[in-house]
Amino acid sequence: MAINLRTAAVETREQRLGTITAWDEGTAAKLAEQSEYSRGCGAGCGVGNKGSKLCELESPFTQGGSCAEQVVQGQASGILDAVLVQHSPIGCAANQPMNNTNFRNTLARRGMAVRNSLALSTNLTERDMVYGGVEKLQETIREAYRRHNPKAVFIATSCATGIIGDDVETAAREVQEEIGIPVVPVFCEGFKSKHWSTGFDAIQHGVLRQIVKKNPGKKQEDLVNIIILSGTDVYTPMLAELGLRANLVLNLATIEQLEQMSEAAASVSFCYTLASYFTAALEQEFGVPEIKAPQPYGFAGTDAWLRAIARATNREEVTEAYIAREHARVRPIVEELREQLKGLTGYVAMGASFAHGVVVVLRELGIDVPGTLVFHHDPVYDSGAPERDTLGHLVEETGDVENFTVGIRQHYQFYNLLQRVNPDFIVIRHGGLSPLASRLGKPSLQLGDASFPLGYQGIINLGAEILAVLGQKKFHEDLAAHSSLPYRRSWLDEKDPFALARAAVA
Amino acid sequence: MSAKKTKQIAIYGKGGIGKSTTTSNISAALADAGYKVMQFGCDPKADSTNTLRGGEYIPSVLDLLSEKRRVDAHEAIFLGFGGIYCVEAGGPAPGVGCAGRGIITAVELLKQQRIFEELDLDYVIYDVLGDVVCGGFAVPIREGIAEHVFTVSSADFMAIYAANNLFKGIEKYSNSGGALLGGIIANSMNTDFHREIIDDFAARTKTQIVQYVPRSLTVTQAELQGKTTIEAAPDSAQADVYRALAKRIAEHTDSKVPTALNPKELREWSAGWADQLIEIERASERARVAA
Repeated sequence: MAINLRTAAVETREQRLGTITAWDEGTAAKLAEQSEYSRGCGAGCGVGNKGSKLCELESPFTQGGSCAEQVVQGQASGILDAVLVQHSPIGCAANQPMNNTNFRNTLARRGMAVRNSLALSTNLTERDMVYGGVEKLQETIREAYRRHNPKAVFIATSCATGIIGDDVETAAREVQEEIGIPVVPVFCEGFKSKHWSTGFDAIQHGVLRQIVKKNPGKKQEDLVNIIILSGTDVYTPMLAELGLRANLVLNLATIEQLEQMSEAAASVSFCYTLASYFTAALEQEFGVPEIKAPQPYGFAGTDAWLRAIARATNREEVTEAYIAREHARVRPIVEELREQLKGLTGYVAMGASFAHGVVVVLRELGIDVPGTLVFHHDPVYDSGAPERDTLGHLVEETGDVENFTVGIRQHYQFYNLLQRVNPDFIVIRHGGLSPLASRLGKPSLQLGDASFPLGYQGIINLGAEILAVLGQKKFHEDLAAHSSLPYRRSWLDEKDPFALARAAVA
Repeated sequence: MSAKKTKQIAIYGKGGIGKSTTTSNISAALADAGYKVMQFGCDPKADSTNTLRGGEYIPSVLDLLSEKRRVDAHEAIFLGFGGIYCVEAGGPAPGVGCAGRGIITAVELLKQQRIFEELDLDYVIYDVLGDVVCGGFAVPIREGIAEHVFTVSSADFMAIYAANNLFKGIEKYSNSGGALLGGIIANSMNTDFHREIIDDFAARTKTQIVQYVPRSLTVTQAELQGKTTIEAAPDSAQADVYRALAKRIAEHTDSKVPTALNPKELREWSAGWADQLIEIERASERARVAA
């Protein structure tokens, strides 16, 4: 379904894409087959053009999680010359220290002056819940403007304001007229969507509606929007080889960079979970082509990704030369790494499309990957372009993953999942799962820097890092020998990570 | 998709005042006149559109959402009398959950899926429960949804209090592009003093009476058949009243900001009327004794 920028609130991922958070029926190929890309509409799947309908397990409880609002916090407070206002009780701001750590780390990675992120909370109390929090919100926006003189203010709504029905849209527009900078309400009530990635869509929706230039005066034929997360800037040098400039958004972008997204020659990303909404909407509403290619992981994926950019920007020749140079440089090193990594088994647990990419890289390094956990699954991305079928690409290029699971980052299930495959090491992106792996004696490699496994150099990076991590194996074995898990014997003996969900249905 | 502008109207009123009856008859009269109409019930009871569907309940948007996370809005639209598109927001059982949030969720779902544009509607009529008790119930009068609000009220003071509350809500949102007041639909008007009371309230709040609708057995008979008066008794005098009302609403263009009475004014106003009513009663008693 086409993206609708006319409403203030974004449509959730479940509604747009049919996103699920629990599936455990077997192989990656089976999930790819059940997804929209191969099945298409009308094959007994969803009504109208709502895409495929996957059978989803429903667990009777959740041990821990995140929400769209947390994602919006991280994204909005990472925009350099904007301020985030959280319209919420103060508890929703509990994640701010973590956001700030990420912000500071990314500034350091990108060689920028390290400082704190800028965020305020309206700190809603009992009184505000009864009488409405709109006046407090407007006062907080004015205060944000007075203190920090930003180029824009982003408002993250909360469950509380969603329930009492605060008219945040009108409140934002009134103060916007008063202070003369964009005041962007981002509707990200955590209860709306069961997966936090709707938060990416929510902030992108706000940026598209209120920041991106509606009528760009000029096109910048050498500018490419790259939708990123917190990571090293590997893009600027890579695109420079093709004679292109990278417009890195949203993380550590300026408002000016966001405004000029509509002037770019194309939009691309390393992670289609993250960028699905942005790139599809930029094409649909602003005529900026979305690069339709696999993600840039492993040789084949990176080749295809670069070639698609080259076609969109008329730079085929220079791109082929760059690809050839990189292959010549990287292949011999990868060959050496393959020798050293021979016989190893890895397990990947992270966000969906990023996981698809990391499995590809591990296999490029000759590592066996019999199991993967993705935290959600989008049966299709917003543009519906089959070239972007990241799971299909993984299966076609590198073979099936025998134990492919969709589960929303549940610690208690991770234990059973690892018992299925008994890997030598684990690759994760979110910190929460590695202590469990450690207590099982498994070293884990945390990809805090999202750029780490990307492109040709990413294959080398990941291979070298795995060797380094395996060097700590003894440490993890010692941890395992002297620690225990907090679960009962009955659960530790359970083979099925979704036993509770299946029992609830039976 | 058509470029034509859909006229969106919200009808508010105290529970039990005849709001759904009035709304359904307006919808039916507009459909009879050849317009494409959607009636959108915003009440957890989900019975706004019953008389457009032969007394039948339809699954609400929120029923569908509680069954599955992913809902195609088309599944919540049912055809009623004269091709009227019937939608019920629905909501929780009494005493649980949050009915206001229910309205937000249901309206948002239809907006996001561009249903109003797709169906190329002439009219969307929201039938909204009673007092504007929280933000959710104000959704239809906020910017970008209804442009005109009508309130159904009898001369009963509790109904007038509810109307006055609604006026406060309209005043609040009027500065920010929200809906304005078209006027009062005076329902159950059977005696002169009913008219006098409601006329006086309209004058005090600087609004108008759109139509006086008498209490009528025809309406009850039609409803018992699960029909609107327009459908069941098209030649009745009551049907003419509803058609006249629908015509006024169709022709209505300029809504205004009402002047809601503050609590003290409202108290004094109703106390004044209480004195007058006692005086009317005494006079009629004296007349009876004298006769």
